[in-house]
Amino acid sequence: MQKLPFDTVLIANRGEIAVRIIKTLRKLGLRSAIIYHEVDAATLAVSMADTAIALEGSSPIAAYLDAEQIIASARRANVGALHPGYGFLSESAEFARAVASAGITFVGPTPESIELMGDKIRARRFVQQAGFPVAPAAVEEDEPETFVSRARDLGLPLLVKPSAGGGGKGMQIVRDLGTLDDAIAQARREGLRYFGDGRLYVERCAEKPRHIEVQVLGDSFGNVVHLFERECSVQRRFQKIIEETPSPALSAELRKRVCEVAVGVARNANYRNAGTVEFIFDGHEFYFLEMNTRLQVEHPVTEMVTGIDLVAEQLHVAAGHELALSQSDIVSNGHAIEVRLYAEAPEREYAPTTGKILMLEYPECEGVRIDSGIVQGQKITTAFDPMLAKIVVHSATRREAALKAAHVMRQLVLLGCETNADFLARLLMDDTFLSGQIHTGYLDENPHLAIGQCGSDLPAILAAAALLTKPVRDSADAVPKLHAELGKWRN
Amino acid sequence: MQRIVSQVDTTSQDFRLNELHNRRLAAELKERQRSARFDRPTRDIERLRRQNKLFVRDRIEALLDPETPFLELSTLAGNKAYDGEVPCAGQIVGLGIVAGREVIVHADDASVKGGAWYPLSVKKIVRALDIAIENRLMVVHLCDCAGGFLPLQAEFFADRYHAGRILRNQSVLAKMGVPQVAIVMGHCSAGGAYVPALSDYNIIVRGTGAIFLGGPPVVEAATGEVVSAEELGGADMHTRVSGTSDYFATCEKHAIAIARDIVARIKRPTKEAIDQSAPEPPVYNASELYGIIPKDPRVQFNILEIIARLVDGSRFHEYQPCYDRSLICGFARLHGYQIGVIANNGVLQNHSVLKGAHFIQLCDENRTPLLFLQNTTGFMVGREYEHGGITKHGANLIMAVSAASVPKLTVICNGSHGAGTYAMAGRAFDPRFLFTWPQSRISAMGAEQAAGVLTHVKARQLARDGGRLSDQELAAIREPIMKEYRARSSAYYATSELWDDGILDPVDTRDALLIALSASLNTPIEAPRYGVFRM
Amino acid sequence: MRHSFALNAESYELWLSPGQRDYRLHFGGEVIAPVALSHHFNGSGMLEIASETVSVRFAIDGDVLHLHIHGRTHILRYRDQLREFDLSEVLASHDAAQAPMPGVVVAVRVSRGDAVSPGATLMLVESMKLEFVVRAPRGGVVDRVHFEVGESFEQGAALVTFSDERR
Repeated sequence: MQKLPFDTVLIANRGEIAVRIIKTLRKLGLRSAIIYHEVDAATLAVSMADTAIALEGSSPIAAYLDAEQIIASARRANVGALHPGYGFLSESAEFARAVASAGITFVGPTPESIELMGDKIRARRFVQQAGFPVAPAAVEEDEPETFVSRARDLGLPLLVKPSAGGGGKGMQIVRDLGTLDDAIAQARREGLRYFGDGRLYVERCAEKPRHIEVQVLGDSFGNVVHLFERECSVQRRFQKIIEETPSPALSAELRKRVCEVAVGVARNANYRNAGTVEFIFDGHEFYFLEMNTRLQVEHPVTEMVTGIDLVAEQLHVAAGHELALSQSDIVSNGHAIEVRLYAEAPEREYAPTTGKILMLEYPECEGVRIDSGIVQGQKITTAFDPMLAKIVVHSATRREAALKAAHVMRQLVLLGCETNADFLARLLMDDTFLSGQIHTGYLDENPHLAIGQCGSDLPAILAAAALLTKPVRDSADAVPKLHAELGKWRN
Repeated sequence: MQRIVSQVDTTSQDFRLNELHNRRLAAELKERQRSARFDRPTRDIERLRRQNKLFVRDRIEALLDPETPFLELSTLAGNKAYDGEVPCAGQIVGLGIVAGREVIVHADDASVKGGAWYPLSVKKIVRALDIAIENRLMVVHLCDCAGGFLPLQAEFFADRYHAGRILRNQSVLAKMGVPQVAIVMGHCSAGGAYVPALSDYNIIVRGTGAIFLGGPPVVEAATGEVVSAEELGGADMHTRVSGTSDYFATCEKHAIAIARDIVARIKRPTKEAIDQSAPEPPVYNASELYGIIPKDPRVQFNILEIIARLVDGSRFHEYQPCYDRSLICGFARLHGYQIGVIANNGVLQNHSVLKGAHFIQLCDENRTPLLFLQNTTGFMVGREYEHGGITKHGANLIMAVSAASVPKLTVICNGSHGAGTYAMAGRAFDPRFLFTWPQSRISAMGAEQAAGVLTHVKARQLARDGGRLSDQELAAIREPIMKEYRARSSAYYATSELWDDGILDPVDTRDALLIALSASLNTPIEAPRYGVFRM
Repeated sequence: MRHSFALNAESYELWLSPGQRDYRLHFGGEVIAPVALSHHFNGSGMLEIASETVSVRFAIDGDVLHLHIHGRTHILRYRDQLREFDLSEVLASHDAAQAPMPGVVVAVRVSRGDAVSPGATLMLVESMKLEFVVRAPRGGVVDRVHFEVGESFEQGAALVTFSDERR
């Protein structure tokens, strides 16, 4: 790999992704700097970074969104580049511009690409005009007066989306036209709340749609390659919880087609950096959904099957170098599955949970990668996204990978905060999941999967609880031996 | 120690007939106990439910440690009195385990006459507190009493062992440093008001618990003041204003939880360290007792067979095994504790009486508690025996029994008559606990002899008036005397009058004795000391 | 005594009784014996249950117990009887923060309509030349503050009353 023109990279992020980026920086011999809010002072990322700079903020999230303060910190740390990770400021064109004008390399696409893909309606139009398939849609701003009637004409089911949306926020599914008005009103409210933008569009969505996305990588020289697809159809509330590659839904021919479409979209947009083109697949056709101009949460599955370090590639192209990889260099081996460990209670409608991590033990196992940003003693609050770690498993076949991942989820010990670990293990062993017949409505159709049963473990659970609770032991120990032997004797 | 080798043929006709008979008696006992414990008029049960009160048995179950024994005492007290309308004499008393401590539970039963105290209720409570005093047992009172049953006040109010004794005994316990915890679960009025007040700790239940010297009707009658029970002596008032109660409970279960927590704070008494080894069950099955106890109480049986089915490993070290075996004396163990057994094998005679008096002193010297197994028609009478000094020897035995400092436990296995009742640690001699078996009889004289004497007296009176009775007339006099005498010497009558601490199913005897013996060791055993024996 | 644990929104009543060298577990009419926990240090132990041996990882946080058994995590809460009865009492009847002794109000920290959580500071009061804090006996919305700064009150007076939380 060619020498990079910077020796220190600031990570404008936190948690597992910050840790993951630091690992690549170390591998490349680069120094890492990190910004953090005081609630994260005791986290793994902060302790691993070579330099850590505290941010002030009215709230922890506000601190990580404070571009001015972050750039000032980057200057102070004298960094040559800034990696935004995912979320926070990673898809802010304004931030990318400000970083660049501060003389710091932004490890991401050009601000123009971010702007284009960040506006979902513009992106849709762009892709459509380039001749790629998009789902039938009604865009409000095309003709606001007829928006609702055009939406009705699309046919059910419908998906109402904020124009500025992403990550499933503000999306509303409509299965009955009677609820369309309410869904529009709610999507608009949420769009305004999350993105400060109330514009909407409505797409017809497929029955049993599958979420297929393609990882692409582009440089400043117009070279674009793909690193195959990922399937992320197992979702709860439009949020992915299991991601895998390759997709069990695609034939070699379909795979080739979708990857080529993705490369085409990226090439048309002059895309530089790692990016993901997302599609809805209805079993026959792919429809462009959106393009994410950053590293995805689920990128490790791609890294596992291709052996390519996407963060290293990001740094490489951000530095202005030409892609060293050609499409024929990129081969996918075996099957990789990632599950997201969340601090949440599946049986209580995935309500976020809080607590303090009292015990944390990850199993060590061949072909298992755990991207985690948490440490024992850390408090889990609702200040951030509830994701705690990602468990990624690589095996020869999908079934092997799934069962191995389930095994790892059962081996993993995280005490102190309720998590979805057991739920994930159940999913991984579910017959429907193993058959590959998954779609984005899979969990909604199988609500029983969210409910855990103690079943035959109940006696052991209660026995352990009783033996570990001093008052319970004390009251047994207090009974004199003679009377204990007599038991519940009555005359 | 040698094992007793049983001579009983469990396949014999006699054994089977006895067994049939005694099992029937045991079943009858269980049924009578069940009925006394649980059969209540529906309206009383309904009233409790309306008042949101638990049935007294459920209160006790909630109070006790789960999976621990409860030795209920005098369940059938009052069963022959008040036309049978006051089962258990309206009181539940027993030895149980609360927070790992041995306690006496005393509970008023509000489902019986509103928990009113009858004369036998008072006798039962006084006895419960006597047990607490003698054995230094903590007491938990579950108070729910409407007051004394006034029509019978002359039988429970003024005398030495009447209701005042309850309060006196509570005070004595306090002075001895034996704690009492009371839960006020209903009204505690008049004398009953002092029961929680004299307890070291008391808890009062919101809504149902109240303490006052005079209830609202009494207050209105006395002073014209109209006041509600809650305002006069409710939980809020007594825990915030008067300070008569210590803890406020939101419900009975809460009160019981508080009481358990209090008991758990109290220092356990140090048990008297008597000789002890590892416990061992008897070799012979207790259920064989049914086939051993003869169905005709006049038939003699070998008391060693009983001992073999009560003591550890059926092992028995007999003392003076060659000397007058109408009284069997020897050492054995109960749950590892060494005890001395003194058991009748028939009428008491000169030598056996001497042997008994001697053995008691040996045990006392050796800090060995005593177990008396009674089956005696009394002391032998007649010229030869009087010449041999049986009265003098009997006096020595009575003196030894009375003065022995070690705990005494008594079981009336069959007959208990005459001075034999006394010399074998009868009720008057303060054994720590006294139990009977269903068929046992207790009276100054056996029924036949007594009826004979009484008929003889009656016939003599008639003869003075010049009359002479035919055999038929004699029988007509004799029959009702016999009937009355039998009834009043039965175990059920004895237990009704609280002459004992309850009738036991013979198979329960060993366990009951274990619980009783363990409780008795809470009190330090005083140094042996006797008066002057008549030599 | 009978103890109670909450697990997955269910309540389980159980107790232990001593066995020969271990315990017996009683719950739901069942007796499971023997049960014993050995080598438990650093949150790890071997649970013996009716002749089966199970590895257990655990963490205890006050009354909350986190267990990892057979590859699954369970969170149980020990329900202390006395506290549960007390809590029901507080919730049922304490609609007011009352003065534990007579005094004068020094500062008022809440006003009508404020939502407060249990234990929140309501007032500073002075009594017998000592200042102390009056705290909320329960959570709720302040319905009325009965005394202003400088006003004096008697023992037992309601200082602040609450209504139920706004819907």
